[in-house]
Amino acid sequence: MTTALTQGLERIPDQLGYLVISEDGVLASAGELENDEHTAGVIMQMVRTACRFRLHGTAEPPFKRMSVMFEDYVYAVTISGQKVFVVKRQNNQREPVIV
Amino acid sequence: MGCCFSSDSETTDPDGDEVKPLIPDPNQERKPTNGSERNADNLPSNRTDEQALLTVILQRTALNIIDVSAVDSQGMEQHEYMDRARQYSTKLEVLSRTLSQKKPVPLPSLTSQPHQVLAADLVPHADVQQVSKIAAYAYSAISQIKVDAKEELVVQFAIP
Repeated sequence: MTTALTQGLERIPDQLGYLVISEDGVLASAGELENDEHTAGVIMQMVRTACRFRLHGTAEPPFKRMSVMFEDYVYAVTISGQKVFVVKRQNNQREPVIV
Repeated sequence: MGCCFSSDSETTDPDGDEVKPLIPDPNQERKPTNGSERNADNLPSNRTDEQALLTVILQRTALNIIDVSAVDSQGMEQHEYMDRARQYSTKLEVLSRTLSQKKPVPLPSLTSQPHQVLAADLVPHADVQQVSKIAAYAYSAISQIKVDAKEELVVQFAIP
C-alpha cells in the first residue's frame, strides 16, 4: 500500500521530496520533506482552507492541484482518496517576478 | 414611769419579732388555701410552656433530621424515574449529534490520478506574473479604502 503510494511520487521529474498526509497524520515522507511534520501541518491547513472556496453554482472545489510557489522550488499539493499528496519540486523558471 | 417606758420599748421589739413570723405565715396559709387555684394556674401555664417547648423541639428535629426513608419515598416513583431517564438519553443523543457535526468536513477528492496531477508541468511564469499583478491591484484597492463620515449614526428623533 505505502509502496504503491510512493512509487509514482518518486518518479516525478525534479522532485526533491514528498509527503503523504492523512487526517490522522503523516503516512509517508522522503527526501527533503522526510519527517517534516511542521510542513505537513501547514500544508494541511492551507489545503483545507483552499477546499472551502466554491465558485458560483458548483459543489466541488474548483481546482485539481494547489501550487505553493517559491523562487527556487514549488510545493505541489493534491488530494485523492482522503489523502493529501505533497511533492517538492525544483522550480527551473528563474526569471524574476515583476510586480 | 421610766420602767414603764422601758417596758414599752421592750414590747415594741417583741411585737416586731412577733410580726415578722406573721408575714410568712399568712403567705404560707394563702399558698395552701389558694394552692389549688395556683396549681390550676400553674398547670395550664406549665402545660403551655411544655407544649411550646415540645413544638420547638419538634420543629428543630424536623429541620435538622434527614430522614432517608422519607427522602426515598418523597423522591419519585419508578414511572417518573424511567421518564426522566428517557429524557436524559434523548438530550444526550441530540448533544452527541451536534458534537459529531462539529467534526471537520472530510477532504474532497480532487483527482483519481494524484501522481499524474503532481507530475504535470508547473505553473507558467506568465501566469505567476499575472497573479502577482492581480494581487497587487487588489492590495492597492484595499489600502485605498477610506471611511468618509457624513451623517451621525446615532440621532435623536421625536425631539420635544
